[in-house]
Amino acid sequence: MSEKKSLGKVFFNGIIPENPTFRLVLGTCPTLAVTTSALNGLGMGAAATFVLVCSNVAISMLRKFIPDQVRIPAFIVVICTFVTMVQLLMQAFVPSLYESLGLFIPLIVVNCIILARAEAFASKNSPLPSALDGLGMGCGFTLALTLMGAIRELIGNGSVFGMQLLGASYEPMLLIVLASGGFFTFGLLLGLFNLIVKKVERKHAQKEAHAA
Amino acid sequence: MLTKTFKRGIHPLHNMHEGKGPTRDLPVREYVSDSVVISMAMNIGAPAKPCVKKGDHVDIGQVIGEAQGFMSVPVHASVSGEVVSVDSIPSLGAGNVQAVTIKNDFADTWVELHPLGSVERVDPKAVIPAIQAAGITGMGGASFPTHVKLTFREGATCDTIVVNGAECETHLTADYRLMLEHSTRIVDGLRAVMRALNVKKGIIGIEDNKKEAIEAMAKAASGREGVSVQALKTKYPQGGEKQLIEAITGRQVPSGGLPIDAHVVVLNVGTCAAIADAIIDGKPLISRICTVTGCVRNPANLLLRIGTITEDIIGTCGGYSETPGKVVFGGMMTGICIPNDQMPIMKSTNGIVVLNERQSHSKDESPCIHCGRCVQACPIGLNPYQIKVAADKSDFAAAEKLHVMDCILCGSCAYQCPSRRWLTPSFKFCKDHITAEAKARAAAKKQPPSGAAARNASAPKDSDSMGKQSAGHAGSSEGGANK
Amino acid sequence: MSLRISTAPHMHNPLTTQRLMQYVFIALLPTAAVGVYAFGFPALAVLLISMATAVLCEFLWQKIAKQPVRINDFSALVTGLILGLNLPSTAPWWMAMIGSAFAILIVKQLFGGLGDNFLNPALAARAVLLASWPVHMTASAYVNPTYFQAGVDAVATATPLASKSASIVQLLLGQVPGTIGEVCKAAILAGFLFLVITGTISWRIPVIMTGSVFLFTLLIGGVTPEAALIATLSGGVLFGAVFMATDYVTSPITPWGQVIYACGAGLIIVLIRQFGSYPEGVTYGILLMNIATPLIDRFLPRKIYGYKKEAKKA
Repeated sequence: MSEKKSLGKVFFNGIIPENPTFRLVLGTCPTLAVTTSALNGLGMGAAATFVLVCSNVAISMLRKFIPDQVRIPAFIVVICTFVTMVQLLMQAFVPSLYESLGLFIPLIVVNCIILARAEAFASKNSPLPSALDGLGMGCGFTLALTLMGAIRELIGNGSVFGMQLLGASYEPMLLIVLASGGFFTFGLLLGLFNLIVKKVERKHAQKEAHAA
Repeated sequence: MLTKTFKRGIHPLHNMHEGKGPTRDLPVREYVSDSVVISMAMNIGAPAKPCVKKGDHVDIGQVIGEAQGFMSVPVHASVSGEVVSVDSIPSLGAGNVQAVTIKNDFADTWVELHPLGSVERVDPKAVIPAIQAAGITGMGGASFPTHVKLTFREGATCDTIVVNGAECETHLTADYRLMLEHSTRIVDGLRAVMRALNVKKGIIGIEDNKKEAIEAMAKAASGREGVSVQALKTKYPQGGEKQLIEAITGRQVPSGGLPIDAHVVVLNVGTCAAIADAIIDGKPLISRICTVTGCVRNPANLLLRIGTITEDIIGTCGGYSETPGKVVFGGMMTGICIPNDQMPIMKSTNGIVVLNERQSHSKDESPCIHCGRCVQACPIGLNPYQIKVAADKSDFAAAEKLHVMDCILCGSCAYQCPSRRWLTPSFKFCKDHITAEAKARAAAKKQPPSGAAARNASAPKDSDSMGKQSAGHAGSSEGGANK
Repeated sequence: MSLRISTAPHMHNPLTTQRLMQYVFIALLPTAAVGVYAFGFPALAVLLISMATAVLCEFLWQKIAKQPVRINDFSALVTGLILGLNLPSTAPWWMAMIGSAFAILIVKQLFGGLGDNFLNPALAARAVLLASWPVHMTASAYVNPTYFQAGVDAVATATPLASKSASIVQLLLGQVPGTIGEVCKAAILAGFLFLVITGTISWRIPVIMTGSVFLFTLLIGGVTPEAALIATLSGGVLFGAVFMATDYVTSPITPWGQVIYACGAGLIIVLIRQFGSYPEGVTYGILLMNIATPLIDRFLPRKIYGYKKEAKKA
C-alpha cells in the first residue's frame, strides 16, 4: 500500500467492499450463533466494534514497540483487555443482552476479524486510520449481524427487534432460528451479497473500459 | 456348447437382432462398377506411394502403390483398365490422401499370380511376406497391417490364434455371410497363420445368435489340426479385441499392452479368408464383402472391389429409400460418417449403413443424472461419467488418472446414456490429446535442450491445431525446467 | 448432397432422462391414488399444490437464471409428487408450497440443478418442514384414513410406530394413519415392481435397505421377528427405500456402493428409532447416506480390465 488511502475510503472499505462477514467471511462463529434475533445481532456487533476500534488504536500506537516474533500474543493480550472491559460493562448495564449472548462475549477475543485487522492494518498504520478502519469494519460487522438477526427473527418468530410484525396467524418457521437455519440464512445472504457486488464491479469495469 | 463372454457390455437393438434382419439371409452378390478410386492410405501406418501415372493400363492385382517401410502395405489395382488420374482426395481422417482412379474396361485380365499351394504344405517362412505382398490389413475395421501384427517383438510368445467371427456391431452381416459361404477359406487362412507362427491352438469365436455360422465353421474346422469353434454370448462389444480375448482365453491384455502380451493374436474372419486367397491363389486383396443396409431400397451383402464409390454401391442397391441424413462406414456403434457419397470403400469397410434424417438427428446433451448406466455398460470397468466431468473441464491429467487411456471407444456408455451425453466423443478427444502430448514430449526430449528449439522442431510436425498446442506446452515446460 | 457428420455411436438406447422420470411418476401413481382415496380431497389438494409449486419454481428459476427450461423432463414434477406424498393430508397449503419451493430452489437449483444436488430434494424439504413445523408433520397431524373410519377395527392410536399395534395386513392395505404416501404398502410394492421391470432402478437399494431395517431391528431392538416385520412395514421405510433412496443423483452407482449405502441407511434408521428422540428416522437415514454417496462412489475400488493380475490370483 504505497499510496495513501483517503480516510473516508478506509472507513467505507469495511462496510461494503471488504465487509468482514459477507466478503471476508471472518468471524462466522458469532455470526451463526447469536443472530437468532436482531437485537442480539446488534449487541454482538456493537461489542465487537468497541473492541475492534480500541484494540486497533492501541496496537497501532504500540506497533513500533512490539517485537515481530511475539506480536500475536501481544495483540491477544491487548484485545483481551478490551474484551474484559466490554464484558464487565455489559454485565453491569445490559444484563439481559449479556445473558442471551453468553459465552460469545468472551469469545470475541478469538474473533478472527479483530486479530485480522490488528495484523493486516493496525500494525502497519498510524492510529487515526486504524481507528477508522476498526470503526468501518465494526459497522460492517454490526450491519451484517443485525440484518441476519432481523431476517431470522422475522421468519422464525414473526418479529423484528421484538416488535410483532406478522400477524398472530403466522406460524413461525422454527428451523430458521435453529443452528441449521443460521447456515441457510448465512449462505443465502452470502450468495446474494456476492451477486450484487459482482454486478456492481462488472458495471464499474465496463464504465472504465468505456472511459479508456 | 457352453457360451463364453466378458463382463458388462450392452445389448443394442437386441429385439431387432442387432438390425441384421434385412441382410442376414441374403447371399453375397458381386458388384463391379465402371470406375474405382483406390486410396493409398488404407492402413494404419505409412500410406503407400503411387507407382502408376495417368494413362497407364493396369491389370487386376497389379501393384499401383508401393509400401513405404515396414508399417505399410502395397495397394493393388482392383479392376483392369486405364488409370484416369492420380490425385488427392479427402480422407476420412484429417487432410487429403493420394488416390488412383481407374476406369474399368471389364476385360478382367489379371497380372501373373504366384500361388504358394496348400496351406498345410506351404513353407511357414513364406507366409508372412506373402501376407504383406498381398496388401492385407485387418478387415474388421481397424486396418492394422496384418504382417506387423504377426511379427512379434523380441521375447514375445503366442500360444493361441483367436479368429473374430463375433460381428457384434449392429446391422452388419458381411462376416456372417463370409462364414457361411467361405468357411473353409477362413480355416485355411487360420491354419496358414498357425503354421507360420508355430501356434498349436486356433479358436474361432462366434456369437450365439449366428447358429448357422457356428455350424458351418464347426464343419469346416473338423479334422483340421488345432482348430476349434467357440460360441460366444450375443453382447456388444463381444468382438472387441480385448473382450474377445477375455471371453475365449480368460486372459486379459495388460493396460497399454497388445494382445501378444496375453500370448494371443486376434484376426478377423475376413482377414483369414484374405490370407487364404493370398497363399492358395496368390491373389492380393482387391475385393471384400460389405453389407449395405439401412435406408436403401434393397439391402444387400455385396462383394465389392476396393475403391468402389459409395454412390454406385447405393445405386446397385436400388438407391436411397428416404432422404439420407448420415451414411456410415461400419456399424452404428463405431462406424465413421462419410461427408458425401463420393467416398470410395476401403479394405476395412465392412458395411455401409444409411440413416434417414430422423435417425441422424443428434439430441443435445442434458445434465448427467448419475444413473450409472454407463458404469454398468463399460466393458473395461471404467467410470465414464467421472471421466466425462474431467473431459468437460479439459482436465486431461484427471482423465488420465481415471484410466481414459484404457477406453476402447466402443460407444457402449454413450449408447446407454439417458441424458445423451457425448461420452465416447469426449473420450476420443481426451485420448488423442494425451497421445499427442506424449508424442510432443518425446519429440521435445530428443531435441537439444533449448525450449525454443524444441518448440520450433516439434510444432510443424503436427498438422492439427491440437498437436501444435500440446507441442507448444511441452516445449515451454522444457524451457522452464532448464532455467 | 450434404450428409450429417458425427462421431460414433450413431444410435442410442431410446430410454431418455424424460422417460425415466415418467416411469418414476407412473410408479408413484398407485401410491398417490390410494392416498387420495384414503384421505380424501385434502390429500389431493396437498399433492396438486406441491406438484404445481415444484414445476413453477423450476420454470421461474430457469427463466431468471437464463438456463434452458427443462420442466418437461418431469424431474420437478416427480420431486413435487414425492414431497406431497411425504406430507400428512392435514398439511396446510402454504406448507406444501414452501416445501416444494425449498426442494426445487434451494436443494436442487442452487447446487446446480438436475444431477448436481447432493441431497434428495424432496427428502431435504421434508426434513426442513419437520424441523420448522413439527406440529403439522408428526403424529399429531396424522389422521386415520377416512374411508376406514366406518370400518370395524380402526387403529385408534396416533401412529403405529409408537404403539406397534397394527397388524401386518392393516399395514399392507394402508389402514393406518400416516403421511399420504406411506400408508399403503401394497401400492408402494406395485410401484417398486413397475420400476424394476422397466429397468428404471435396480432391486438392490430397496430390498437391501428394508432387509437391513428388519435385521437391525431384530438385532438391536431385540424383538420378535414378527414385531421386527411390523416395524419394518411401519412408517416411511418402504416408501423411502423405493422412491427416495433410489434417487439416481444421490445414491451410489456401483453395485457394492449401493449395498453399503442401503445397509448404512437401514442402520441409521434403526438407531434413530431405537435410541433417538424422533419416532421416525427414515428421512435422516437416507439424507445422511446421500451425503456419503460421493465418498462411496469415489473410494470404492473398481476392477478395470487389464489391471487385475493380483486380484485374479486371490
